[in-house]
Amino acid sequence: MTGKLKRSLIYWAILSPLMVVILFPFGVMFVTAVRPRAELFTYPPTWGFSEFRWENFSEMWVKTNFGGALLNSLYVSVAATAVALLLSIPAAYAMSRYRFAGKGAYRTFLLMTQMMSPIVLVLGLFRLMMSLGLVNDLNSLVLTYAAFNMAFTIWMLQSYFNSIPRDLEEAAWMDGASHLTSLVRIFLPLAVPAMVVTAIFTFINSWNEFVLALTMMRSSEDFTLPVQIYAQVAGRYQVEWHHVMAATVLATVPVAIVFSWLQRYLIRGMALGAVK
Amino acid sequence: MSSVTIRGVKKKYGAMDVLHGIDLQIRDREFVVLVGPSGCGKSTLLRMIAGLETISGGDILIGNRVVNDVPAKARDIAMVFQNYALYPHMSVYENMSFSLRLKRMAKDMIDRKVREAAEILNLSKFLERSPRQLSGGQRQRVAMGRALVRDAQVFLFDEPLSNLDAKLRVVMRTEIKALHQRLQTTSVYVTHDQIEAMTMADRIVVMNAGKIEQIGTPLELYDTPANLFVADFIGSPSMNFLRGKLEQGAVVLPDGSRLAASGQGAAGQAVVFGIRPEHLALATDGTGLAAEVEVVEPTGANIQVYARVAGMPLCAVFTERHDFRPGQTIHLIWPEGKAHLFDDATGHRLQGGAN
Repeated sequence: MTGKLKRSLIYWAILSPLMVVILFPFGVMFVTAVRPRAELFTYPPTWGFSEFRWENFSEMWVKTNFGGALLNSLYVSVAATAVALLLSIPAAYAMSRYRFAGKGAYRTFLLMTQMMSPIVLVLGLFRLMMSLGLVNDLNSLVLTYAAFNMAFTIWMLQSYFNSIPRDLEEAAWMDGASHLTSLVRIFLPLAVPAMVVTAIFTFINSWNEFVLALTMMRSSEDFTLPVQIYAQVAGRYQVEWHHVMAATVLATVPVAIVFSWLQRYLIRGMALGAVK
Repeated sequence: MSSVTIRGVKKKYGAMDVLHGIDLQIRDREFVVLVGPSGCGKSTLLRMIAGLETISGGDILIGNRVVNDVPAKARDIAMVFQNYALYPHMSVYENMSFSLRLKRMAKDMIDRKVREAAEILNLSKFLERSPRQLSGGQRQRVAMGRALVRDAQVFLFDEPLSNLDAKLRVVMRTEIKALHQRLQTTSVYVTHDQIEAMTMADRIVVMNAGKIEQIGTPLELYDTPANLFVADFIGSPSMNFLRGKLEQGAVVLPDGSRLAASGQGAAGQAVVFGIRPEHLALATDGTGLAAEVEVVEPTGANIQVYARVAGMPLCAVFTERHDFRPGQTIHLIWPEGKAHLFDDATGHRLQGGAN
């Protein structure tokens, strides 16, 4: 027992630098968010605060138009996730189950798109959205987020699809199911864990995306959360740091909710496994 | 129930020929086993009957209907897969009733059929369980149950027992055979295990390298194998082969020993003399074929002796408990009519055999 305790302590000691790096910004963010305005710039900096001000959040909500930006972000992230999944499931299925000319090239192409940072493409994308008349339209973000995430989602789904035995679908066909029926009733239920993982990934990526949102959205009522929070800092005479930090705290909440809600599917999916 | 006719069926993957024109007539109610070493094309042929592989040439008929272009779901065939292929997200009941629900059969009818099949297969207690809560043998039975509820024209089995341990395999072998005797559904069963083939089949189809080597009842294959491949494949331990030359009604081995034989071959022709280990007996008077004992393996029920004759390996099985020593020379005889004679060049059986 003591040996085990000792080992645990050593492991935590090794992990602690990492923990500090991860948790420090959260600590600063949280402490700043709940402080009264007067204590923002106390020197030397402390972790304490004289009063836990919930009002910071409500003031911030009104002042920064947080609600509008939250809805924009939710719309863009949910829609981008849906579009990415709807398009990648058939693509991944085809890559996993069928042989066709150019399959290897297609896989390489997908990988290569992942090697480019969106920022180098911003100008081109902006011109593309101009010609489509989508600038200052949230749907431009839906399209680009879905597109940028699809390379990953197709790879991820394909490798999971490969692990679902072909026999299961063949058994369903022998049982009298059409391709579509076997896909919907046998294949997709088994692929749920992979779909959940890719959905979480796409949602979080879209939620946090900044550069494209900043470029495409011109008017403040269409801003997503990252841009809206940035707008509270950039180009102001006075930055209300406690409001900025309150907004960032709130902005992390939906991601946390999505993750904790969907992660039970992850665990269930791992337990399903292959039947031998 | 229905017959299955396979006429000149070929399978190519690109430039590679996997099946070179298979002709086979499977009669109504018959239990046919396709057996052969791995890669011989037996599973491919089964999957072509099922409709899971396309046909590169020839025809497959179920009953009188050519099914070449009929998709798997419309062939009315049930199949048991090697890894069972149970739907992991469905209970045993749902697994077994899946095909019936697809047909939109009435609920009470489905219930009756599933419970009936579960009763036959001893699965009644497990209907609510999910496949991962079952043992290998139970999963195997669920896979059979899924086929059973269908009342399909033909049952296909793709090495269904190869994932089970040796003891359970023997039990399930008997169960499948009993089930067939009861239901009389035309069945095609693929295995690489010749004992499974021998014990279960009405007729065995021995395949090798994409061709049929011989079709016959188990005992026909055992008693009169058409060629060296079948002779070697059927029976365990396998038949002994002694290579020599045919001379005046005898096979002469390299060391000069003569084995009486009456094959129809030319004098001086290179031949293979075949004799099964279980047909060898000890000569008490010192006559017969001299063999030098190398290894002795008692199995309890019998003793297997590995020996050498004229430099060639030979195995003999005795049910009596002799006391053999390595290095000892024993003399072997065999009953008339039990020996086989093959052409060494072509591998074909020589008419008349040996004795």
